[in-house]
Amino acid sequence: MTINGKDPVLVVVQLTGGNDFMNTIIPYNNPVYYDSRPTVVIPQDQVLPIDDDLAFNPNAAPLKEMYDAGKVAVVQGIGYANSSRSHFRAMDIWHTCEPVKVGTEGWLGRTIREIDPQKENVLTAVNIGRGLPRALSAPGVPVTSVGDLDNVGLMTSIEERERRDKALDMFKKMYAPAIGSGAVMEYLAQTGSDVYTGADVLKQAPAMYESDVEYADNSIAKSLKDVARTHMAGLGTRIFYTSHGGYDHHANELKSHPQLMRELSGAISDFFDDLRAHDAAEEVTMLVFTEFGRRMRDNGSGTDHGSGGGAFLIGERVNGGLYSEYPSLDPARWLNGEDLDWTYDFRGIYSTVLDQWLGLDPVPIVDGQFEQLKPFARG
Amino acid sequence: MAKSDLALMAHLLRRAGFGATRDEIEEYAEKGYEDVVEDLVNPERCPPLDEDIISRYYDGENHVIWTSTWMYRMIVTRRPLVEKMALFWHHVFATGAGKVEHGPSMINQIQMFRKHGFGDFRTLLVELSRDPAMIFWLDNNENRLGEPNENYGRELLELFSMGAGNYSEDDIKNASRAFTGWTFTQPIPLYPQGHHPSEFVFKPQEHDYGPKTFLGESGNFDGEDIIDIIVRQEATARFIARHLYNFYVADEPQVPAWPIEPPQDQEAIDAIVQTYFDTGGDMRAIMRMILLSDFFKEARFKKVKSPTELVTGVLKLGGSITAPQPGIGRYQAATGLMGQQLLNPPTVEGWHTGREWIDGGTLNERINFAVEHIGDAEKPGVQEIIRRLGGNGDGGSARLSPEDFTERCLTLAGPLDVGEQTRQTLLDYARSGGTLDLSAPEERGKSVPRVVHMLQMIVSSKEYQFA
Amino acid sequence: MGRPYGLLRAGYPYLKTLGMRRITNFPLDIAIGDEGRLYILCRNDGAALIRVWSIDDAERLTDDLVGIGSYGSGEGQYTWPVNIIRDADENLYVSDEALHRIVSFSREGEYIGSWGEAGEAEGQLNGPAGIAFDADENMLVVDSLNHRVQKFSREGEFIGGWGSFGDGPGEFDMPWGVTVDELGYVYVVDWRNDRVQKFDSDGEFVFEIGSSGDGPGELNRPAGVAVDRFGDIYVADTGNNRVQLFNEHGRYVQRFIGDSTLSRVARDYMLTNAYPNRLRDMADLEGEKRLRAPKNVRVDDDLMFVPDYRSYRVQVYKNEAIPLDEHQISEPLRAPTLATV
Repeated sequence: MTINGKDPVLVVVQLTGGNDFMNTIIPYNNPVYYDSRPTVVIPQDQVLPIDDDLAFNPNAAPLKEMYDAGKVAVVQGIGYANSSRSHFRAMDIWHTCEPVKVGTEGWLGRTIREIDPQKENVLTAVNIGRGLPRALSAPGVPVTSVGDLDNVGLMTSIEERERRDKALDMFKKMYAPAIGSGAVMEYLAQTGSDVYTGADVLKQAPAMYESDVEYADNSIAKSLKDVARTHMAGLGTRIFYTSHGGYDHHANELKSHPQLMRELSGAISDFFDDLRAHDAAEEVTMLVFTEFGRRMRDNGSGTDHGSGGGAFLIGERVNGGLYSEYPSLDPARWLNGEDLDWTYDFRGIYSTVLDQWLGLDPVPIVDGQFEQLKPFARG
Repeated sequence: MAKSDLALMAHLLRRAGFGATRDEIEEYAEKGYEDVVEDLVNPERCPPLDEDIISRYYDGENHVIWTSTWMYRMIVTRRPLVEKMALFWHHVFATGAGKVEHGPSMINQIQMFRKHGFGDFRTLLVELSRDPAMIFWLDNNENRLGEPNENYGRELLELFSMGAGNYSEDDIKNASRAFTGWTFTQPIPLYPQGHHPSEFVFKPQEHDYGPKTFLGESGNFDGEDIIDIIVRQEATARFIARHLYNFYVADEPQVPAWPIEPPQDQEAIDAIVQTYFDTGGDMRAIMRMILLSDFFKEARFKKVKSPTELVTGVLKLGGSITAPQPGIGRYQAATGLMGQQLLNPPTVEGWHTGREWIDGGTLNERINFAVEHIGDAEKPGVQEIIRRLGGNGDGGSARLSPEDFTERCLTLAGPLDVGEQTRQTLLDYARSGGTLDLSAPEERGKSVPRVVHMLQMIVSSKEYQFA
Repeated sequence: MGRPYGLLRAGYPYLKTLGMRRITNFPLDIAIGDEGRLYILCRNDGAALIRVWSIDDAERLTDDLVGIGSYGSGEGQYTWPVNIIRDADENLYVSDEALHRIVSFSREGEYIGSWGEAGEAEGQLNGPAGIAFDADENMLVVDSLNHRVQKFSREGEFIGGWGSFGDGPGEFDMPWGVTVDELGYVYVVDWRNDRVQKFDSDGEFVFEIGSSGDGPGELNRPAGVAVDRFGDIYVADTGNNRVQLFNEHGRYVQRFIGDSTLSRVARDYMLTNAYPNRLRDMADLEGEKRLRAPKNVRVDDDLMFVPDYRSYRVQVYKNEAIPLDEHQISEPLRAPTLATV
C-alpha cells in the first residue's frame, strides 16, 4: 500500500497525564456539563461549535480549522472495560493492548516487526523523546530514540566538537562487529553500531531541512518539528512517536489546560502546514491519544483521574468528522457514579490504523478482532 | 597488592554490592576475600546506615524520593549485600507501583526484604504472603471463602517458589483457599492529608477452614501450612537456586524458559540446592556458599549490568555521593530511561535481565549517562584516578607511556577485562597523544583532559556493560 | 514588657487546620505576616515553594494560588530551604542548606537579594538551617554542618558566633532550629544531641532542655523551637511526632500530639471525590488527627502554628493561658505536697 508512490507513515502523539476530554470536545448545550463543572468549565459563549451538541475548546482553534477543512476525525468515548485510574497502569494498557493481564510487548513494537522483519532500517521507528515508550518496545526490534535532533545520539554531553567526533569515532571502532566474541557481546556490538548509524544518518536531517513554517517555542512544537525534519529527510521512517506532557490537572486546570490546548493544536497545525509545503503530507496520518479522561465533576480547581477519553486521527487522507459516540452525560449512566463511560474500544482505532492505513493484519498485533471505523478517504 | 586479588575483590563488590571506589577495593582486599564475604553475609558486623540524616534530608513521599533514597542507600551503605539482597527479592517477588499506588506499602515491602531477605526462606514467604503491597498486587484481598481469587496462589507457586510444571491446577486452587481471609486494613486515602499505613489483617469470617489437598498432602491447611509444604520441595530449592545464579553469578535465560532450557551450570545449581537443604533454606548460608564458590569467582563479566547496577557503579566510580545532596532524583530517572524503574517492575515476572536490558534506546542512555558523569574532572573519583596515575601510590608515575596510560586506566576504573578491539582503540588514542605527563602544572593542563577522555571511553565500552 | 509572675493555664485547644496536599505539600516552616497573612514554606527533594495563604483559609480551592520565589539554584530561587522568617517590614528571608545562602523577598514576592558563601571559615556557611532575628535585626544563622551559630547583619556582614562539634555545653551536633526571645536569649535546637540549648545574647550557655527518648520532656531529633511572650518554650519534637511545651525555666508542662480536622479547602475538595470518601469510610481515622514529623513550631500572640510536615497541612492551636500576678499564685514550693487547699 503506497500513497503517491510513498509508504504510509504513522505519527503517534501521546498526551501524558490524562487529557480532560470533556473540556476538549465540549457538550456545550448539555446542562449536566455545567452542573458538574461549576469551576473548571468553558463558558458557553466561548466554545467553537461543531454542531448543536459539541464544540471544540476555544484554545484549540487551529485544530478546529483543520476539522472544518475535513482533516480531523474525532474518536469519541474511547476506552475499555474497568478503566484503570493509575497513570502507569493505564498507559501500559494503551501501550500493550493488555487490559487484563500485564503485558510487556508494545503494539507498535509488533507493528515495526511486521513492517521491517529483517531489521533493515534502524530508523523504521523513531521516538522523539528519551527512553523508549513501552508501545515501541518488543524484543529484537530496533527503535531509535531522539532526545534532541540538533544534538542527537551518543556522547551528547561532550560539547567540544573535535573531542566528540573523536569519541564517536572510537565508539564506532569499539562496537564494530566482533565475530566470535560471544552472542551477547556480538549483540551489544550490533546494537551499538545501530545506535551509531541511526544517529549518524539522523544528524543530516537538520541540514537538509528548510522551511517557512515557524513553529512555536514549546516542547510539542519542537518534537513535531523534529518529526517533520526526519520525515522530510526521507530516511524511511514509518512510525514516529512523541509525547506531550502535563495533562494531569488535579488543580489549576483553568490556567494550564488552555495553554496545552494552544500548544498542541498550534503544533499540529504547523506540522501539517510544513508537510504540505514540502509535498510530504499525503502519506502521513497522526493519531493523538491519552491514557484516560477525567472525572465528571470538577474539584473546585481541577479534575481527578477518570475514564472515557477521546482520540484524534488527523491527516490529508482522513475523512473528518465525529466517530463513535460521545459518552452519555446522564448521571444514571456514569461509571462508578462519577465518570464518563466508554463507548468504543481503543483497540478498534489501533486496528483501523493498522489495517486501513498501514495495510497490516491487526488481529495478532492488538490480540483480537475489534470494531473498526472508516475514517480514511478512498483514493 | 596483587592485581588478581584486586580484580577478584572488584568482582565480589560488583555482585554482592554496587561497585566500589578504588580505595574501598584496596581496603577490602587488604582484609582478605573470605573475611570480606563474612562481613557481607553478617551485615551487623559493619556500621549501619545513618538513618537520621536520610530522614532529615530525604523526607517526603513520592515515587521519586523513595526510589532516589533507595539508590542513595545502595551507594553509601557499608552493608551492601543487604541492599543487593533486597533488590534481588524485588526482582523475584516483583511488585509494581503501577498497580500498588500506595507507596508506603511498597517501601515497607522493600524494608521487609532488608529484614528477612537474609533469613530462612520459609519466614520470607510467610512475610511475603502477609505483605499488603503483595496482597493487593496479586488480588489476595479479593480472595475469600466461597469466592476464591487464585492470582496469589498461582504466582506463589509459579513465580515465587517452585516454577511452572511442578504442581497441578488443583494444587493452585487448594493453595488459594488456604490464603483466603489474608488481607490488609484500609489505609486513610492520600487525599487530602497524606498517606497512612496499611497493615496485614486476618479475617476469620473470610477464611476457608475446610480440608484441602496440596501436593499430595491433606489437612485443614492455612497459608502457613502451604508454605511449610512448599519449602520442603526440591523444585523450590532448584527454582530459587537458579534465580540466585541468574542474579549473582551469570545470566540465564528468562524465567519462562526454565522448564525447557537446563541451567548452564547444573553442578552449581546442585551445590546451591544442597546448601538449601543442609541449612533449612538459610539465605545467609546460601549466599556465603555462593560467594566463596569457584563458579562465582570464575564468573567475572558474565552478566549484563542491570540499569541500577550500571548507574550505581558509575556513581561509585565518580565518588561524589557520600552524603545527601539535592537533585538525586536524576539518578532514578536515569535507570528508568535505561529500562528499570525501581519499585515498578513491568510485570509480576519482574524485569527481563541479561541481554534484554539492552536495546538501542537503553544502550544510548547507558553510555550518555556514564560519559556525562565521568566527564567531570573535579569528581573525587576522577581526581583519585589522576592522583594515582601521577605516581602517588601503586606503580603510577608522573610520565606514562601510552601503553601504561591505557593499562593503568583500565585497572583503576575496574579492573576491567577488555577485548582486543577495545584495547586497540584505547591504545591508539593513547598513542595519538604520546607520553602522558602529569609532572608539571602546564603539562597537567593537557594531560588531565586526556585521562578524562580515556575514562569516558572505558565506561562507553561494551565490556563496561558487564558486571 | 515584663513577663507575668505566673500563668493560669486554662487550656490550649486545637483551633483549626490550614492547607492540604497540592496546596501545602510538605510544609516545614511558616512565617506569620500582618493582617493574617501566612507564608508557608514547603519542600520535598526536587520541589519547593512558599505558599502565600491566609489564616482565614480560603473559602474554596482557588486558581489564584500565590507563591514567592521558586525551586532552583538561580537568582530568587531556593533548592533546600529550611526556615522562613520576616523582618519588621515583612520582608521575607529564607535559609537554603543546599546553596549555603540566605535569600530575601519582599512580601509581594519581589526578589531582594541573597548572601552567603560556602565554606568552614568564619562567616562562611555549610548547610545553614535555622535563622532568627535578634532585637537589633541582626540574623542568627544555625550553620548546621559546621556545628555552630553565627551572627550576621541583615545584609550578610559577619558579626560573630559560637559553638563547635560535640555534646558538651555550647557544643552542637548538626543543630537545626533557632529562636530569640524578647529578652534577647537565644535557643538553639541541637538536633543530633536531642536537646535545646539556651544562651544569652553573647553566646554564654544558660541551660539545656531535653535528653534522648520518647517520655515527657524527652526529645527524638527535634527540629524547631519557639518562645512565646510568657517565656514558654515550644519544641518541635520531630522524631516523636509531637510538640512539647516547657516553661521558661525549662520544666516540662505538656505536649501536643495533633487534633487535626479537615481544613476548609480539604472539605471542599473531598465533596467532589466519591471514591476517596468511600475509602475514608472504610478506614480507621484516628491516625489522621496526629502530627507527623513536625519540623518547626511558631507562636504569634495566642496562636501556635505547627507545620505538620508529612500530613501536608498546618495545625493551629489557641493559647488560653491567663497571666497571674504575685497575689494570684503563691511562691514557688521546693517540694511536691499532698496538702490540697
